[in-house]
Amino acid sequence: MNNQSAPFFLQLGILTKRLLLRLARRPLAELPNVFISAFFLLIYDGALGGVFGGSAAGTPFDFANGNFLNFILPVSIVSASVSGGASGIYLVEDIESGVFKRYQGMPISKWAIILAPIAVGAIRVLLQATLIMTLGNFIGADPATGNSGYFAVLAMAFFWGMGFAGYSVAAGVRSGSSQGAQAATFLFFPALFLAPTFTPRYALKGWLESAAAYNPTTYVLEGMRAIMIEGWVLDDILKGFLVAGGFAFITLTFAVFSARTATEKS
Amino acid sequence: MFAVEAKNLKKTFKSKDGDVEAVKDVSFHVNEGEIFSILGPNGAGKSTTILMLTTLLRVTSGKGSILGLDVEKEDKRVREKIGIALQDTGLDNLLTGRELFFTTARLWGFTKQDAETRTSELLELVGLNEAADRRVKTYSGGMKRRLDLGLSLVHKPEVLFLDEPTTGLDPGSRRVLWDEIKRLREDGVTIILTTQYLEEADELADRISIIDNGLVVAEGTPDELKAQIGGDVITFIFNNYEDSKTAKDLILNSEIEGNELRVAVENGAEKIPDLLRKLSEKNLEVTSVSASKPSLDDVFLQVTGYRLEGASDQEVDSEEELSEYE
Repeated sequence: MNNQSAPFFLQLGILTKRLLLRLARRPLAELPNVFISAFFLLIYDGALGGVFGGSAAGTPFDFANGNFLNFILPVSIVSASVSGGASGIYLVEDIESGVFKRYQGMPISKWAIILAPIAVGAIRVLLQATLIMTLGNFIGADPATGNSGYFAVLAMAFFWGMGFAGYSVAAGVRSGSSQGAQAATFLFFPALFLAPTFTPRYALKGWLESAAAYNPTTYVLEGMRAIMIEGWVLDDILKGFLVAGGFAFITLTFAVFSARTATEKS
Repeated sequence: MFAVEAKNLKKTFKSKDGDVEAVKDVSFHVNEGEIFSILGPNGAGKSTTILMLTTLLRVTSGKGSILGLDVEKEDKRVREKIGIALQDTGLDNLLTGRELFFTTARLWGFTKQDAETRTSELLELVGLNEAADRRVKTYSGGMKRRLDLGLSLVHKPEVLFLDEPTTGLDPGSRRVLWDEIKRLREDGVTIILTTQYLEEADELADRISIIDNGLVVAEGTPDELKAQIGGDVITFIFNNYEDSKTAKDLILNSEIEGNELRVAVENGAEKIPDLLRKLSEKNLEVTSVSASKPSLDDVFLQVTGYRLEGASDQEVDSEEELSEYE
C-alpha cells in the first residue's frame, strides 16, 4: 500500500498541470478573449490613431506623445487580463463533474485543489497579456521605459487578472455554477468603460470623471500608460500596482474564505 | 480489530422544512478480506452511510472506524487506507485513461517512474489497455466504471468502498466488474459494496446488511438470511388481483403482489396439495403454482414488507453497450 501523499507544492503542480492539459484540449474556448482584445486594439488604433496620434502633435489632443498605440495598448492588456476570471469556471467544472469530490476523498490539501485553478488563471493572464503586448509591439508600440517597461506592464496585468481570478472563484463556489463564475466578466465591462479608456481623465465629462475617480481600473490604466508614455513615473506606477495588488489581495482572500466554507464537510 | 465498524451511525440533514434523518441508526462490522454488501432501495441511507465512513460527510452521532481509525478524528489517516468509487465521483473527460491513472498516482506520492509502472498495471487490471490513450469522454459507461474502480486502487488500499458500482450497466459490463471485484477480494482487499440489485449482493457478498429507511433491518450471510425464511417458498399465480387478495386472507403469513401470492413453508412439496384444496374450496382459480428455495428477494420482502423495485431489472443503456463492444 502507498499511503504517502505528495508534498503540497508537488500536489499543486500536478493539479495545475492537469488543468493546463484540459486547457490545451479545448483551445477554441481560450481564443475569444484574446481575439477580442487583439481585434479592439487594431480597431481603436485604426479609428482613433489618426486623430490622437502623430497628427495631433502640438494640440491638446496629443495625450500620447505622438503614438496613440502607447495610449490604447493598456486598454487591450487590461481587457486580456480578465481571462483570469476563468479560474472560477475551472473550479466549478470540477465541482459539477464530481472530480472535486474525488480529490476530497484523497489525503491531499484542499488548498492545492483551490489554488490550482487560480494558478492556471495566472498563467492564462500572462500568456494572453504577452500575446497582446507582442502584437502591440509589432504594430508600433514603443514604451518610454524601453522593453523593460513591458515587464512592468505585464506584472500589473498579472495582479489585475488575479483580482478577477479571485472574484470568479468566490462567485463560482458561492453560486455553485459556471454562470456564477462567469459573472466576473460582467463586472469588467462597466469597470473598463467608466474609466479614462479613450481619453485621459482630465478630458472626461464631469459625471464620468467622478465615476472614474472611484473606479480602480482608472489607476491600473494610468499606471500602465505612465510606463508606456512618460517613463518611470513612480507616483502613477505605484498607484497602479497598489490598486491591482490590492484588488488581487481582497478577492483572493474572499475566494479562499468562500472555498474553505464550501469544502467543509456538511 | 474490524476492517470497518459502524456503531449507531446517525446523519441528520437540516432543511427549510425541518430536519431530515437520512440515517437513523446503522450498526455493522466488516471483517478483513470480506465483501460486505449494504442492500437497500434508493433513499434507504446506503450512500449517506458510505459518505460518513469515507470521511466525506460529518457524522451527526455514533461512531465509524476504519482499521481502528476514527473517521471523524483521524480522517486524513483514514483516507490513506481507503479507496473510494462513489456514484457521483467524477472523471475528467478531457484527459485520457492513462493520464488520469498517472496523475492520481503522482498525487498519491509515487515517483514518475513508479507512477508509470502503476499506471500500466492498473490499465491491465481493469482491461483498458487498448483505450488507454483515448480521452475518457469516448469511453462507454462500463469502461468509465472500470476506470473509476482502477483509480480507487492506485494506492493499493486496504479497504475499498464501492457505491452502486454497477447501477445502469448492461449485464455484460456488470459481469466484468463482478469478476474484478471478486479478484480484489482474492488479493485480500476488504470491500464494502452498496447495491440495489439483489442478485449482485447474492453473487458477491460474504455478508449482507439490509438497510431500509435509515435502519438496519436484517444482517447475515446470504444463506443465513434465506434460512430465516424457512424451508421453501410457494408461489401461486391467480387470474386476477381479487382472487389473490381473497387467498391472502386464507393463507397465513402470505404476501401478495398483483396476481401473485407467496408464502414461506417448512416443506413445499407436502404443503402444496393442502393449500390448493383450501383455495379451490373458495373457488379461487390458480393458474400456476411452484415451490422454490427462498431468495434474497423473499428475505427483502419479509423484512421490509415490500419488494425491492427493479431488483432484477437489468437497465441496459443500449448506446453505451454498442460503444463498448464496437
